[in-house]
Amino acid sequence: MRSASRLSLNLARLVCAAAVAAAAAAPLLLSQNDVVLLTEFMSMLVLAIMWNLLAGYADIVTVGQHAFVGVGAYAFFGFTALAGLDPYLSIPLAGVAALAIAVPAMALVFRLRTAYLAIGTWVVAEVLMLIAGKLDAFGGGSGTSLPISIVLSFGRTRGDRLAVIYWLAFALAATAMLATYVLLRSRIGVGLTAMRDNEEGAAAVGVNITYARILCFLGTAPFLGMAGAIITLQKLRIAPPASFSITDWTVFVIFNVVIGGIGSFEGPIIGTIVYFVLRQYLSGLGPVHLILLGSFSIITILVERRGLWGLVRRMLDDDLLPIAHKPSPAFRASALLLRAARR
Amino acid sequence: MLVPWINQLLQGILLGGLYTMFATGLSLSAGVMRFVNIAHGDFIVLACFALLVLTTALGLNPVVATLIVLPFAFLFGFGLQRFLLQRVVGQNVLLVILVTFGLSIIIENGLLEGFGADTRKVSGGWLETATVALGQGINVGLFQVFTFIAAVALVAVLDLLLYRTGIGAKIRAVSDDVAAADLIGLSSGRIYAVAMGISFVTVGIAAGFMSIWTNFDPASGPTRLLIAFEVVVLGGLGSLWGSLAGGIVLGIAQSIGGQWDITWQMLAGHIIFLLVLAVRPQGLFPRY
Amino acid sequence: MITATTPKPLLTLSGVCVFYGNFRAIDQIDIAVGAGEIVSIIGANGAGKTTLLKAIIGQADRVEGRICFAGAEILGSTTAAIVRSGIMLVPEGRRLFPSLTVEENLQLGWEVGRRGQIGFDDVFRLFPVLREQRRQRAGWLSGGQQQMVALGRALLANPRLLLCDEISLGLAPQVVAELYALIPAIKARGIGILIVEQDLERSLSVADRFYCLLEGRVSLAGRPAEVTHETVIRHYFGL
Repeated sequence: MRSASRLSLNLARLVCAAAVAAAAAAPLLLSQNDVVLLTEFMSMLVLAIMWNLLAGYADIVTVGQHAFVGVGAYAFFGFTALAGLDPYLSIPLAGVAALAIAVPAMALVFRLRTAYLAIGTWVVAEVLMLIAGKLDAFGGGSGTSLPISIVLSFGRTRGDRLAVIYWLAFALAATAMLATYVLLRSRIGVGLTAMRDNEEGAAAVGVNITYARILCFLGTAPFLGMAGAIITLQKLRIAPPASFSITDWTVFVIFNVVIGGIGSFEGPIIGTIVYFVLRQYLSGLGPVHLILLGSFSIITILVERRGLWGLVRRMLDDDLLPIAHKPSPAFRASALLLRAARR
Repeated sequence: MLVPWINQLLQGILLGGLYTMFATGLSLSAGVMRFVNIAHGDFIVLACFALLVLTTALGLNPVVATLIVLPFAFLFGFGLQRFLLQRVVGQNVLLVILVTFGLSIIIENGLLEGFGADTRKVSGGWLETATVALGQGINVGLFQVFTFIAAVALVAVLDLLLYRTGIGAKIRAVSDDVAAADLIGLSSGRIYAVAMGISFVTVGIAAGFMSIWTNFDPASGPTRLLIAFEVVVLGGLGSLWGSLAGGIVLGIAQSIGGQWDITWQMLAGHIIFLLVLAVRPQGLFPRY
Repeated sequence: MITATTPKPLLTLSGVCVFYGNFRAIDQIDIAVGAGEIVSIIGANGAGKTTLLKAIIGQADRVEGRICFAGAEILGSTTAAIVRSGIMLVPEGRRLFPSLTVEENLQLGWEVGRRGQIGFDDVFRLFPVLREQRRQRAGWLSGGQQQMVALGRALLANPRLLLCDEISLGLAPQVVAELYALIPAIKARGIGILIVEQDLERSLSVADRFYCLLEGRVSLAGRPAEVTHETVIRHYFGL
């Protein structure tokens, strides 16, 4: 029984590895429309991973994630179209700009706690969107298109361009995943996981939680900013309500992660896949699409708050990727004894 | 030269009355249950649409319609807390945020599906256009003055309810120490539900005044939530009279910002909020 | 058959077990308290004393066995119903509502309890200092005065059985002596009292009977006069 489960787990890991390899080669295998869809998928995946890192591990629920996506979009436009910098260089610079905005934003919203912090991030996003609408060089309230010369610098033909943008998105998603994996395996990650499970636990691990939360908040900003730059490359224009769209860059993302499984490495990936599959069938329904997603996520929280991955996890004996350091039998025994003694 | 600014100042103070109404319910639920209902603004808009239906389809007077809505609002809030939010409250704040966030999206899109994206308004009849002349060419709307008086009255009544009645003492007791309340047989779940019911009555009242004062559409909720939130934080968490002060500060900021340049109206309010948050995070009138 | 010499007990626990997850904090306990009787539960830290009180008041997660109060099964009832039927807890650490006034704290006891003869005047007669302080916020009182409010709050619920959890904790010896001096007056009203206390001497000095808990089981039971100090100590530490 156990070995059967172990076998299927290893099989699943193998499938995942194959999927990653296939994803890397996607533009060579798929039609242009599919590449566009897959690029969108990679951007959404980055946003989901970042939101999950904050909400699922660092105890920072943000409803203002779209702020940094928008800042990244505008910064990318500013660096490449207005300042005339290299378009490729402008993508990481967009991440730097998002980081630069994240520092004062954090100083403000970290004065608020939990639910208040959540709405605080929303206010910050609202302010940034309103300010973006006042920048005449960026087209003011109605936004503007990316100059054609910049678009062409990513590829002369549509096919080349789509492939390059896709690979950028793929590279960003892969980096995001790798960075999260490394972070969660580090001492800080262990501390955050301990805090999530039990307040005293974090203190026992000896990780400064305030420092860890600051690191996570600032760490997500560049990824969100670069995602904003790549999204801009796909949409070919910036505009305050679109670049700072709360529905696209925050609402959908939250639903993805909640349905997939909050506080797990696999959750955002599963959630984003489910979201794209559902979207094929539901997007024609208009507002009902969002009503259904909202209902799904509430039901998820009530039934299994660890989401779809939580349901799957009940049947497996390990994570797909071994994030958690497994305690030795001796450690487990002493922890049990300690707990018994405290009673 | 000075007159237009004084005029805007007055309008801002009156607008603060409406904003206070948005905030009282949020202040109550946040102060007692220690969570912020992200769907608060959407519930205000939902109540506005209920009033729209009652006044247009049934031809009722807006005041009568509001009075009809209030008991249902109480029951709705009571039931919402008892049967949905109570299941996640106390476990993890994250879950409550996510459930109310989901509700917010469901309400917004439900209204969009049912009523379309058009901007709506409830007609207040003659009251809407009547003005009071204060000399020097300054006029204020009679309805706006009524709204401000009602807001002050609402805060006063809630204050009495919370500090002078038995149920008020129970609400404050569970707010102090919910586990201790359970230990001595005060059923915290029931008291939470009553508090949410009261919060929803204020939502109904706020909708009554908002639906006549401004236009609204299905997507108006988040703006109302942000205003209510800013008012609560500006005033000092859990302080009802502070909410009145916070409402007035925000109203004046928006009104003066709008006088300078109309596109600066919302931004001026947000910026004042962030400034106060930066220099005085405990708010203007903290309770303790 | 109930005989005249052994009055029908007010509260009986038979075969009660309490669990935290899979951990058995209380294991097959039988305990009885009569009306107007003072029963003391003694035991080392972690023996399960507070858990026992929580089980009686309906605040433990998983309880097995039977808990009868005044002839009715109360296991599975809500705390509110149990309090209304006449059991009231003076919680460990007093657990007043600090932002409420003394009077409001007392009033809550009156409201959750059953109707009876004990009123505010009785409480103020027992604790005159509370009458002067009744408009004061409970959080501002001294520890001793807070304990008086906690006791007063419990008495205003007009309990037939009072559960006292560590009422001497953190208080000056003189204050503890004053509080314990009032216990016989409460007993005289026919109220049964179940006392949980670390302070062995204090606890045994007022008790009619006692139970000693060791690792969730009753290791010794009897009347304080009938056992030697050494016997108690031996069962207290399980030596």
